[in-house]
Amino acid sequence: MAPGPTESGKPPTDEIVHRRGGGHTGLYVVVAIVVVLAVILSGAYATGYLKFASKSTSSCSGPASSVVPANSGQPAPAAPSPAFHPESGQTVSGAGSTLVQPLMATWETAYTNNTLYYSGVGSTAGINDILGKTVDFGASDAPMNPTQRSLITTPGGIDTIPESAGAAVPIYNLPTVGQTLKFTGAVLAGIYLGDITNWNNSLLQVANPGVVLPNACIIVVHRSDGSGTTFVFTSFLSKENATWNQTRGFSTQPTVFPIGIGAKGNGAVTTTVKSTPYAIGYVDINYALSNGVAFGAVQNPKGNFILASLTNIASAINDSNVKFPAANGDWYNVSVLNAPGAQDYPMATLTYVLVYANLTAADVGTSPTYITHAVGEALVDVLKWMVNETEGQSYSAAAYYVPLPAWVVASDMATIGSIAKTIPP
Amino acid sequence: MDSDNPFPPPSSRRHRRAPKWADFTFLLLTGWGAVLVLALLVALFVGFYIGSQTAIHQLGFRFLTNTVWLAATDNPVLPGNVYGVEPVLVGTLLTSALALLLAIPLSMGAAIFLTQQAPLSIRGPVGQLIELLAAIPSVIYGFWGLIVLVPIMRANIEPALASGLYWTGWFSGTPTGLDVLTASVVLAVMVIPTITAISRDSMAAVPVSQKEAAISLGATDWEVTRNAVLPYARGGVFAGIILGLGRAMGETMAVTMVIGNPSYLTPYPTSLFSQYQTIASLLATRFAEYSSPLELSSLIEAGLVLLLITLAINVVARGVLSRFQRGRGVGRE
Amino acid sequence: MSLGLHTRRRLFSHTMTLLSGLAVVVILVPLVAVIYEAAVQGSSAFSWTFLTQRPPIACTPHLGVSCALGGVYTPFEGTLILVGLASLVAIPIGIGAAIFTVEYAKERRIARVISTTADVLSGLPSILAGVFVFSLMFQYDKPLVYSTIAGSLALSVLMIPIVVRTCEEALRTVPESVREAALALGIPRWKIATRIVLVAALPGVVTGAMLSVARAAGESAPILLTIGDGCFHPLEGVTQQGCALALWIFIGATNNAYQNWDRLAWGAALLLILIILAISLTSRFSLNRLVRRMKGGP
Repeated sequence: MAPGPTESGKPPTDEIVHRRGGGHTGLYVVVAIVVVLAVILSGAYATGYLKFASKSTSSCSGPASSVVPANSGQPAPAAPSPAFHPESGQTVSGAGSTLVQPLMATWETAYTNNTLYYSGVGSTAGINDILGKTVDFGASDAPMNPTQRSLITTPGGIDTIPESAGAAVPIYNLPTVGQTLKFTGAVLAGIYLGDITNWNNSLLQVANPGVVLPNACIIVVHRSDGSGTTFVFTSFLSKENATWNQTRGFSTQPTVFPIGIGAKGNGAVTTTVKSTPYAIGYVDINYALSNGVAFGAVQNPKGNFILASLTNIASAINDSNVKFPAANGDWYNVSVLNAPGAQDYPMATLTYVLVYANLTAADVGTSPTYITHAVGEALVDVLKWMVNETEGQSYSAAAYYVPLPAWVVASDMATIGSIAKTIPP
Repeated sequence: MDSDNPFPPPSSRRHRRAPKWADFTFLLLTGWGAVLVLALLVALFVGFYIGSQTAIHQLGFRFLTNTVWLAATDNPVLPGNVYGVEPVLVGTLLTSALALLLAIPLSMGAAIFLTQQAPLSIRGPVGQLIELLAAIPSVIYGFWGLIVLVPIMRANIEPALASGLYWTGWFSGTPTGLDVLTASVVLAVMVIPTITAISRDSMAAVPVSQKEAAISLGATDWEVTRNAVLPYARGGVFAGIILGLGRAMGETMAVTMVIGNPSYLTPYPTSLFSQYQTIASLLATRFAEYSSPLELSSLIEAGLVLLLITLAINVVARGVLSRFQRGRGVGRE
Repeated sequence: MSLGLHTRRRLFSHTMTLLSGLAVVVILVPLVAVIYEAAVQGSSAFSWTFLTQRPPIACTPHLGVSCALGGVYTPFEGTLILVGLASLVAIPIGIGAAIFTVEYAKERRIARVISTTADVLSGLPSILAGVFVFSLMFQYDKPLVYSTIAGSLALSVLMIPIVVRTCEEALRTVPESVREAALALGIPRWKIATRIVLVAALPGVVTGAMLSVARAAGESAPILLTIGDGCFHPLEGVTQQGCALALWIFIGATNNAYQNWDRLAWGAALLLILIILAISLTSRFSLNRLVRRMKGGP
């Protein structure tokens, strides 16, 4: 490999250090790769597959470089740990909606007759779980759709029981804007379609006169998991914007969103928006309030811009005059969106617990037994406790949830009473 | 000792004593271990193949060509239930290639420095520090990426790249920090230890005589490296790079946390600032959320694609590496 | 002015040395950054209750509401159980396979097949181990789909190749003459394998086992798919949903708007790094003993 010493006594000339003949294979390979890449690239640009870009002259030129420090994390002041309740009685397990998860967490500690376990895995996963009988109750903000209902094999079906209420609110992170922004449904749809790309877009400016909107690109955030909150939000968008209704539709699955960053769970959407300047997202109101994230007012059918609050969500539920179908019937069209009242918040939603209507029938063919007598009693007890005004519902307001109106409670109690009759012996 | 005779006859190949029961049992036990290892590889392929059956039957070849991954919904506008691996395959290849692009110069530079120029006292410790990079769990890299790297990319690095390199068309769109570019950077950090370690071994195995010959001819340090060390270590370095590629393609958590998780994938990322998915991040995101039996089967089939690619890469790399090592008498210390 | 050829060559060489030294520095920057971040953020979570309390309700201090910090007891317990179960499965299988390869198969082709299989398996992306176990459970034992057992199985799939490779290397360092001498003395094969060769190679074997444990403790992708959502309740049993430190870090990281979860996630990250560091250092210590012994030391 290395050439031998020179014959004469002269010091080796420079060229001897370089190889004679051969040995340039590596160089050839590199040159070949570079040439091939150059050919491919120029072909791509020539055919328009890749495009040269000109310096962006659109108004959406990117955010300014001043950044809100993400979560600078002062240590939380010490507080007594919530009483992690000692195990008692039977264990009742549920899973589903993240919208109701913080309330369920409060209920887990407050309800002491039995042990309540809840996992916030997303509404769709919750429905899958109750269909698969891996949990005692499922939870979802979106009622079961026809396809999911067709998968029910147990006689009597699954009951849909509203146990709380909330609303989807548009959260945003605008470091330079102190006022509360106003959004119309059309604007929200435009943002999530990718038609409105800059915060200082004229449509936004028109809705917010007097507010200095920054010249920054809107960073869209949505859910990446099957979500009832997505269902509520996209249902609203479908009602408000014809393009959205025709090209995207509404669903729990995130594929309705053509652009944007995906985050798993209401908490992750809140986190992403909170740490990304110029971002916008949609979460349940309790996440916005408990994390101190700004959210905007939304225009209702009467043309008023309503900033969501527990009061105007409750009035929306009452004013919407919704008629509940039979407990085990099809709730897919039950909606409290765009309630008619002047001060009603347009994106209110009920959130539902899903339980088998006939517990004995549900046990057929399951091994080990799906709901035993003891678990059945505990399940009925938990459900009654949840919807009761003086018990479960009394924790709602402090957790930023809307307590159920009395007529909903009455309907629920009737349903739960019917379920109680089917507890296996 | 088992025999009374202090001088038992030597065992010969043709006249082996019949194994005693203890020997036989032990052989059986350890043999089972070996069988299970082999069975594991077979079971992996079989398991993935069986799990993909629904998708293979319903989608067939379209699975490779479909450019969307749409979950099944009751939404009449987007009923979905169509799955294609092409976008996520492109995502996997692109992020891995970018990661290698960033990692190879750094790894080779470090390997060269640590084997050629560094003072002997720091070679060991620094080498071990670099291997420590490999020990840190992926999810912690993702966490750090989310908290530290993403804001820096979003506020500083990506705007700078966009203003300088916009003409290539690869840096369009709003810099969000959660995109293909950041994912590639994090991947590069994670494969650097692999490439560095193997390159170091290969370069350290170069016989001193080769280097001495070059030095005696008046070569500078770099010329010694380029002419005496690198050609000799070529095979090992190449194998290290291929192994790094395999690792980059399979990396999940760190990528999932910084790549943006969009729900609607274009056939290929239009910009390095696009939110996108790799096969691994798709599996991490959609597996718990599968909307239909077809989606579950399609996810498993996507996993099968990843399995075939990474295992093939590994086989090739190890083949090259073992040929290199056997020819050169190299081993880890 | 043109520099002489000598000067140019030397300058170029010095530049390349500088660049490659720079490469080392650049590589170490993320390492320092990650460990620094984990140390600074995580240490503020360390307290007497860090390991004894369960994860709290997610909360951000606001409007006079203060938040409980809680602890990582459930994830920590979960990791111990997961890794313990996985080790119980993986380490015996791995050591058994290694012994078979080195002691019985020797130079036959089957030895190379097993070695190559282990090598190939070690390149398996960790998430695919989770997918594999998930589809296995989905087919054959639905209730176990989200369970600690499923998680440990996935981890053992990842651990086995590491154990096989490292133990095989360690066993091969024992010179053949030792085995021949023992055979000549009439010692049965199984005693040779266990009492003589394994003991001689023990530091290497222990290193291999510990390396695999360190890897399993840090894995999160396969656990994400198989273990379910058991972080907020006491662990009920291995057939129920479980939790792990690595999973908790993921949950806390993606929900870091909640200050108490954010803090605990960093604490868990620091804890995990410390655990892995401890295991790596001890195994390296063990390996050094093996090397010294090979060279004729104690």
